[in-house]
Amino acid sequence: MADKGVDGGRGRRSGVVAKQRGNSAQRFHVVLALVVVVGALLIVRAAKAPHARANVTTAPITAATAEGYLLGNANAPVQIMEFADFECPACGNFSVITEPDVRARIVNTGLASYRFFDYPLPMHKNTIAASNAAACAADQGKFWEMHDELFRNQPEWNGESTDNPKKIFAGYVKALGLNGDTWEKCFDEQTHQPRILANQAEGARRKVQSTPTFIIGTRMIPGAMSYDVFKAYVDSATKEAPAAKAAPAIPATPKADTAAKKITQ
Amino acid sequence: MTRRQLLVLLAVIGVGIALYLTLYKIGVIGVLSCTVGSCEAVNTSKWSVFLGLPVSAWGLLAYVALLVIALIGGTEAREQSVPIAKIIVALAAWSVLFSAWLTYLELFVIHAICIWCVTSALLWVVILAVSIADLRAVSRAA
Repeated sequence: MADKGVDGGRGRRSGVVAKQRGNSAQRFHVVLALVVVVGALLIVRAAKAPHARANVTTAPITAATAEGYLLGNANAPVQIMEFADFECPACGNFSVITEPDVRARIVNTGLASYRFFDYPLPMHKNTIAASNAAACAADQGKFWEMHDELFRNQPEWNGESTDNPKKIFAGYVKALGLNGDTWEKCFDEQTHQPRILANQAEGARRKVQSTPTFIIGTRMIPGAMSYDVFKAYVDSATKEAPAAKAAPAIPATPKADTAAKKITQ
Repeated sequence: MTRRQLLVLLAVIGVGIALYLTLYKIGVIGVLSCTVGSCEAVNTSKWSVFLGLPVSAWGLLAYVALLVIALIGGTEAREQSVPIAKIIVALAAWSVLFSAWLTYLELFVIHAICIWCVTSALLWVVILAVSIADLRAVSRAA
């Protein structure tokens, strides 16, 4: 009897424990189900939300002004602008064949100032890198030297030759005696990307269709040209320049015109 | 609620957070709900991928592993299993270390805080605490 009683007691106790365990498990499953359902609903809601994924950068992008790269006297009577892509062969030809004469006989003599604007074309995969390489050389006062190296050696680093133009640019940096570490930091961080894009935007604003495109005085001339043709445009701009400046000072009134006619008659 | 059940619950919450971040990373979810900090700066940074997998996917794997182990360890037969308790402590300790490294990156390298990532890191700390308590209890019983 006693044994039976003890057994019976154990049975009751284990029954109570089992019941408690059952209640606890039930409560747990309810809480778990609640968490799962709420979580699933939140995720489904998030997935169904509008899909405008933001482009996020950790560094702020600030707009730059398009100033190009100046050669010569900014106040020269004629202003020349060149919109060019470092990887474009026609730009390279102009730079190597015609530009030395333009610099020596037009810019250095004070006839005109010359500004280079980056106009990187999307089909040239290393051109943005080249623009950055030149911009970073400009920091150390050697934009034009780098500009010349890039154009002269185009086939070495263009998109057909390499996927890693930086290595080749670094060789030019060394040859030009620039500080390699400073240049590399600038190049890697694309410090001057806003400036390059601003130059490009300026070209787009002026409806540049091809590279190189020149603006000499008031005329826009697409395509590379010989020195003589270039000089002719500069000459005609030089003739227009003082006239344009003087125009407001001497108003050409009809009276003056008739007076002049009378005198000649 | 037993300790193992609590671990299951914490793992389910973790799965939810990690799944949310992983779905964002693979483009299923467009925008992260992020009232504090800048979750996108963190989740689009180069540190958001580890060994070819998004960090959030590694988190998801860890939480799913914890969920499975805690569910197995929560059955009546294994409730007092010391090896299971040890595995959970090891998993939680590793995850706390990994989360600490990620939080360090957020604070001092990326300079942006992702509230979901911090929540996950804290969740792992809680999981570690519960798993240590569990290990001590089952060791004592054994």
